[in-house]
Amino acid sequence: MKRIRLRFLVAGLVGLAAVAGSAQRAPAAPIDELVAAAKKEGTIDFYAPSTLTPEGAQKLNEALNKKYSLNIKLNYNPSGAMTRDVAKVVSFAATGTPPDWDIMVVHDAAHATLWLRKQHKPFDYAKVGVDPQVIGYDRGTVILANQFVLPAYNKTILPSKDVPRSWEDLTDPKWKGGKLGMGTATHHLARLATAWGEKKATEYVKALARQEPYLGELGTLYSRLQLGEIFIAITMTDSFVHRAKLKGAPVVHAEGIEPVISPAYNAGVLKGARHPNVGHLFAVFLTTPEAQEIWEKYGGQTSAFVPGTTAYKYAQGKKVLYMTQEEAEMVDRLTRVYGKMLGFK
Amino acid sequence: MQPMAAQGRTMGVLDRLLRSGPDGSTIFAGGLLIFLAVIVGAPAAMVALMSLRTGFPGEGGALTLVNFIRVYTDLSTYNVLLNTLLFATGTVVVALIFTVPLVWLLMRTDLPFKRTIYVLLTLGILIPVFLRTIAWILLLSPRIGLVNQWASQIFGLDHPLVSLYNLPGMAFIQGVSFVPGAFFMLAAAYRTMDPALEEAAYTAGVSKLRTFFWINIPITLPAIAAVMVYLFMTAIAVFEVPAIIGLPARILVLSSLIYTSTNPPTGLPEYGVAGAYGGVMLLAGLVLAYFYVHLVRQGKKYTVITGRGYRPREIALGRWKWPAMAFVMLYLSMEVFIPFLVLLWTSLLPYLQLPSAAALSSISLKNYRTIPDYTGALPFINTAILMVAVPFCAMLLSVLVSWVVIRSQVSFRGILDTVAFLPHAMPSILLAVGLGYLGLAYRNIFPFYGTIIIIIIAHTINWIAYGTRTTNSVMIQVHRELEEAGKVAGVSTPRVFLRIVLPLVAAGVFNSGIWISMLSYREVTMALTLYSRKNTVISTVVWQFWGSGWVPEVSALGVILVIFAVIVVGALRIGFSRVGEVGSSV
Repeated sequence: MKRIRLRFLVAGLVGLAAVAGSAQRAPAAPIDELVAAAKKEGTIDFYAPSTLTPEGAQKLNEALNKKYSLNIKLNYNPSGAMTRDVAKVVSFAATGTPPDWDIMVVHDAAHATLWLRKQHKPFDYAKVGVDPQVIGYDRGTVILANQFVLPAYNKTILPSKDVPRSWEDLTDPKWKGGKLGMGTATHHLARLATAWGEKKATEYVKALARQEPYLGELGTLYSRLQLGEIFIAITMTDSFVHRAKLKGAPVVHAEGIEPVISPAYNAGVLKGARHPNVGHLFAVFLTTPEAQEIWEKYGGQTSAFVPGTTAYKYAQGKKVLYMTQEEAEMVDRLTRVYGKMLGFK
Repeated sequence: MQPMAAQGRTMGVLDRLLRSGPDGSTIFAGGLLIFLAVIVGAPAAMVALMSLRTGFPGEGGALTLVNFIRVYTDLSTYNVLLNTLLFATGTVVVALIFTVPLVWLLMRTDLPFKRTIYVLLTLGILIPVFLRTIAWILLLSPRIGLVNQWASQIFGLDHPLVSLYNLPGMAFIQGVSFVPGAFFMLAAAYRTMDPALEEAAYTAGVSKLRTFFWINIPITLPAIAAVMVYLFMTAIAVFEVPAIIGLPARILVLSSLIYTSTNPPTGLPEYGVAGAYGGVMLLAGLVLAYFYVHLVRQGKKYTVITGRGYRPREIALGRWKWPAMAFVMLYLSMEVFIPFLVLLWTSLLPYLQLPSAAALSSISLKNYRTIPDYTGALPFINTAILMVAVPFCAMLLSVLVSWVVIRSQVSFRGILDTVAFLPHAMPSILLAVGLGYLGLAYRNIFPFYGTIIIIIIAHTINWIAYGTRTTNSVMIQVHRELEEAGKVAGVSTPRVFLRIVLPLVAAGVFNSGIWISMLSYREVTMALTLYSRKNTVISTVVWQFWGSGWVPEVSALGVILVIFAVIVVGALRIGFSRVGEVGSSV
């Protein structure tokens, strides 16, 4: 199967990354032009995961201004539901309405929806020093962080003997009847098809649907896990696990399960954005060590493509599932199919 | 001086318009009718249009029935319709089980602490439904619910005693949340009820309970039926409980399908499908509205027109006083006390936990300190705008409509009244979807999508029906003699309206305005459907936080809002008690 080039291939990617040394190359002269253009716009409407928190967004704003000697005002819009908000951008675009946000930091599957509908405003990021390896979707986005997705559970409630050891463990009949929870992020499961093949992944999702998991947004499943309403969330991003760690909540990943799904947070400036230059500058900035440090502190993630980062270290020796641009269309399609299978009408 | 001059010019124009006799009034009423028909009809027309199109708003394309074929050839649609019917019916039953005895106790008996109970009833409306739902999850969840845990310990059950993840559970939670609204609607009927039969029964030695069941309920049956229809219409449109309790358990109702069609959890919006689902909802709304009007007319036959000094005797509860108080406390516990305690508890925690010694040791005020970081000022500003603009617009339109309907001899005043009532037949989610589609597809002529104005418009349309019912009933009580005296004295019609009629109806209008203001403050279905970056309001922030798992943070916000509401409602209650309870006339 020509598609089976395993995305468990941290090694290859890492090798490239190692050559690059960093996602951020030495600044090139065109960055000055971008900075000057951004200065004129003065503001940026920034959509990003809620896990970043307003404080994290404020720190990013301060660091951006400090690095480029600017006085940009950043309006942070925490995501409620990424899929819904991406749909809103597409709806707006169909009517010629400018998007609410200049730049969206969403996972790569959501960016695939935008890319397939040509909703990015491309930019030559390589020209201003960004590592070509992290540039995606026809120069529409840059990867700034990787999420890691695994089943999650409440460690104070679930006995260690019941902690799942594989994805298949979740189809055990003992989890039938509302003991599991599945989030709206069905693209997590769609990504399994890039490794397992569409048939096996689809059978797996059907088996999960038969377990009758509670459905909801990831945030609500996180709350239900804390309360013990559900024992296991079928998929949970590490940002929630990170938040749980900060707050002392007993929600943890079922480590050891492979492949580890890794949606990448991409930053992409939207077509019709009101402040495209600040948007592009901010996207560039998000790949810098300064921004990476802040993102890790507040959002809990870093780029798996930058040696030395937490994500890079975590991925070592694990089978990690990344998604390529070529797979975006299939993941986009299966995301909807699996959503319906699971009961998201 | 300029404002006075402007006012003079305006009144001059109005005066000329109305002084020109029936024609002037007719032109004024005609303009009002056209305006109302446009703002009420446009969203409905949009729903019809979107149901006949595929693709996104503004993309145009040929009209097609494909959405209807897709929706109504799918057998699961009929399951959803059945769910909607059962959910709405269950909700009405639960609401009435609590409302009717509450109304009787508070309006007809010497129950103590009535004023405090009124305030608490009003307060219950202001606690966001989803926060109450968390309290219910803590109590009735099959796995962690305290009630189930206690039942398991006491009776040794190996399965949950009750669960809220089913239609009865959903109906129970929604029904309890409807009680305050239903209370204020029924209170008016009980206040004006002829007490002669009731008093005759007591004189004949019939017990209070038998009198309640055999006299009070039958005599107010038309009013109760009207409230039932009203609640049913509201229940088929509400969204929060179906979303929080229904969706996780795959129990879908029409409102959740319409919402998820336009705000899908996966994939892209399907406005045409939402329109096709909306068609049946709109039809149901029109039929129910017809019955509602019919029942309200029937109900008026059973009321007495209260004269000056009329006051029915309060029934002494005697030994039933404390059981009655227990019933009231049971309801208030479910509606206010337990949700508020859960809210308070959660707001002090770093993350959601059931009560325990360990959880107690982790409480702090940190979530209160971080509220401004999480929300910013915009939701508060927008909510304040809503709370002022919506009642102003709704009551202004209502007063003008009622003036024509009650005071003029315009031949089509009945049509005007009907048009003003029509929004009541349009479920709120459909109204919002229609307005949203209008804003997206025709943004050149309706450039309000994404602004707070579109929510103001949606809320105003939604509560015009309520507003006009109130102003009709208030205005009908002002005797014509006063106006006629003014006219005989040579005062122009607009001046008579401004100087005589308006001051007389001001208290009632203001009272209803306060009620609309509070409804606007807590409304989430329309605000969420029309939500955008710039028009975020407190209710959408609350919803967004829930979806993001920031429950302790939003609980802190909830506690502050409830305390704020206690102060405001308490002050209004005391200040305006002489004009009847807020929201009394529907």
